Amino acid sequence: MRHFLVMTVFALAAAVVFGVVAKDSPRDRLLYGLKVFAEFLVIGLVLGWILYFLPF
Amino acid sequence: MSKVETGTEHETAPAKAWLMGTAGWLVPGLGHVLQGKWGRALLLGGAVWACFILGFIMGGHLFQYDGSLLRIPPMIGNLGAGLLYIVPWFMGFGFAEDVRLAALPTFEFGWTFLIVAGLLNYLAMLDAFDIAAGRKS
Repeated sequence: MRHFLVMTVFALAAAVVFGVVAKDSPRDRLLYGLKVFAEFLVIGLVLGWILYFLPF
Repeated sequence: MSKVETGTEHETAPAKAWLMGTAGWLVPGLGHVLQGKWGRALLLGGAVWACFILGFIMGGHLFQYDGSLLRIPPMIGNLGAGLLYIVPWFMGFGFAEDVRLAALPTFEFGWTFLIVAGLLNYLAMLDAFDIAAGRKS
């Protein structure tokens, strides 16, 4: 599996659980889950680029 | 004279809540299934089971205490998967760090997924507990 796909699957699983557990209404759950999913992906990509330029 | 709230009263959870929490820990999703929360069971249990199975497919392994303190935190994470951890533990399966598996590019993703499966199931277990205790709908 490609690394990005693995990261996406990880983000999806975590976002589903966080969304279902943290909020009460279906709409809030969906929005929060999408937010968590996007945050995982964006932060993962940013960290990946930062680490790419580090020499150690 | 008005009554002053002392704040010393403690809410006690019913035995059913402990039962549902334990069921949810032992089998991911079961705590919600037993309460008729099929949607939540599918989403929460599905996420945990998917992480766990993918973890093994990617070449991961489970952790157990072997004298090294650094093995305890990941073991606690793995233990969150309940029977998914306990059964392989009794069968002696899934704990070995095979050289062929370690050579896979997804090896580290694998054991990370296995740990995350356990950690997510802790959250799912607490959710089942809260629903049974009436703290959540």
